[in-house]
Amino acid sequence: MIALDAVTYTYPATAQPALREVSLSIPDGQFCAVIGANGAGKSTLCYALSGFIPHFFRGELSGRIRIDDVDTQAVSLAELVQRVGLVFQNPFNQMSGAKFTVREEVAFGLENLGVPRAEMQTRIARTLERVGIADLADRSPFALSGGQQQRVAIASMLAMDPRVLVLDEPTSQLDPIGAREVFETIRALIEERGTTVILAEHKLEWIAAFADRLVVLANGRIVMDSSPRQVLTAPELERYHIGAPRYVQAARAAREIGLWPADRDLPVTLDEATEGFSSSSSLNSTRLDLRNSRNSGN
Amino acid sequence: MLIYLTGRSGRLHGLNPITKVMLTLVVIVCGFVLPGVWATWLVFGSIVLPLSLWGGIAGPLLRAVARITLPFAISLFVIQGLFFPGGTPILSLGPVSFKAEGLQFALLFASRLFLLSSAFMLLLLTTHPGLLMLALVQRGLPANLAYIIVATLQIVPRFQARAASILDAQRARGLETTGSLLRRLRAIVPLVGPLVLGSLVDVEERAIAIEARGFSLRRPKTSLIDIPDSRAEKGLRRGLIVAPVVLIVARLAGWLR
Repeated sequence: MIALDAVTYTYPATAQPALREVSLSIPDGQFCAVIGANGAGKSTLCYALSGFIPHFFRGELSGRIRIDDVDTQAVSLAELVQRVGLVFQNPFNQMSGAKFTVREEVAFGLENLGVPRAEMQTRIARTLERVGIADLADRSPFALSGGQQQRVAIASMLAMDPRVLVLDEPTSQLDPIGAREVFETIRALIEERGTTVILAEHKLEWIAAFADRLVVLANGRIVMDSSPRQVLTAPELERYHIGAPRYVQAARAAREIGLWPADRDLPVTLDEATEGFSSSSSLNSTRLDLRNSRNSGN
Repeated sequence: MLIYLTGRSGRLHGLNPITKVMLTLVVIVCGFVLPGVWATWLVFGSIVLPLSLWGGIAGPLLRAVARITLPFAISLFVIQGLFFPGGTPILSLGPVSFKAEGLQFALLFASRLFLLSSAFMLLLLTTHPGLLMLALVQRGLPANLAYIIVATLQIVPRFQARAASILDAQRARGLETTGSLLRRLRAIVPLVGPLVLGSLVDVEERAIAIEARGFSLRRPKTSLIDIPDSRAEKGLRRGLIVAPVVLIVARLAGWLR
């Protein structure tokens, strides 16, 4: 369980707080997504959740951040990283630089934790397999593509076995296939191990398909906090400079001209959109079979 | 940056890095403690050369050492030969003359430099830097220091690559980087700015990345890689300590002239 209680935080040498009175409680095993325009405070929230605020970024913090009932201000960052893993945007900067192969790179965190060698080898093999980069084990981490590096970064965190994983736009530099693999990895983690996941992300379709909960940040405040369906189909979403997912936009436009049943919920996933449009009698009469073109979405 | 020769699984490569570090230090101490030019070359010929042949790196080693020592040797001979205070002139070229003592001094110095660099090359060409640092950390070198050394080895090439791409980007916007000295100096400003600022951001993010992996945890670290250390090598290292001690004592006692 992670709990933020009226957290306000201002970075050093800045006038405006990056987080304002943020209260958020995330139960164990929840997959909570965070969206918001650039500069809304997503990264800051990620740093606060993983202990880097206040331990790494100084600045001014008020309110309380607790992880499993431990106040993050009361323990050291080194203690916290054993509970919370952090993956961020730039894959290159997440490579430690201390290691010469992917296998050793993933081992870096385990070595610091003092994990015995035999267990380390099992954990590394399992994690590389899970993230789908077992074939890269002996390559240099600096000779990989961005997507491959990002998966190394995720593997490095997963190998450390954190109960909470915070990901700050981890797929922004990945291709669609890489992004799908990351999301599916996260989903599997939650199902297999009950890992709590907090994910700041722009890819709304993915959030709609996978997340349990969706928090919207605007100007350092939480402005919406509900199920992905409710948030993504809410008309006020655009007020926070977030465009609604394509399926929602399409169905809204279709509803205006009577092609989407007025009593039907707006769709947030491809399946729902397909079903909704298929059931619409006027569309059926044009014999448009969306089911045959399902593969084109990403 | 990395001069370690991969792909050669020579016998020297498989030795424990600590053994090679000791070997290097012993060679250097012996070369400097033994008097005279002949002793320096004796140490080279009896230890460094056979080992490099055994390890299959004699060619690259000699090339690297020549590249390091040759420029020094030439300037040593010229400067010491010409400007050695006093001394007997043996060759006169107009107003200047080479002195015998100066040339002798230069020869000794160049020989020792040769031995020193060849001993280091023996270590560096056959030892993976990561493995060397790991071995040193296991013997008490601070992990932070080892991290800085290894990370520098890996990150400097990326830094150079970024400098090159900034240079290209600024040239594409019309920055003149050729021509007079003044023009070249002026061109530095728009190159250094992005490079330094970008690197500062990188440093912060990399600090977060290694913190997130528990780098500052105060507990004994383990290691994925097992560095082989046979009984024979342990014995060899004990033997290696004896040689310089004996030589230093002999030198102090005045047995070596």
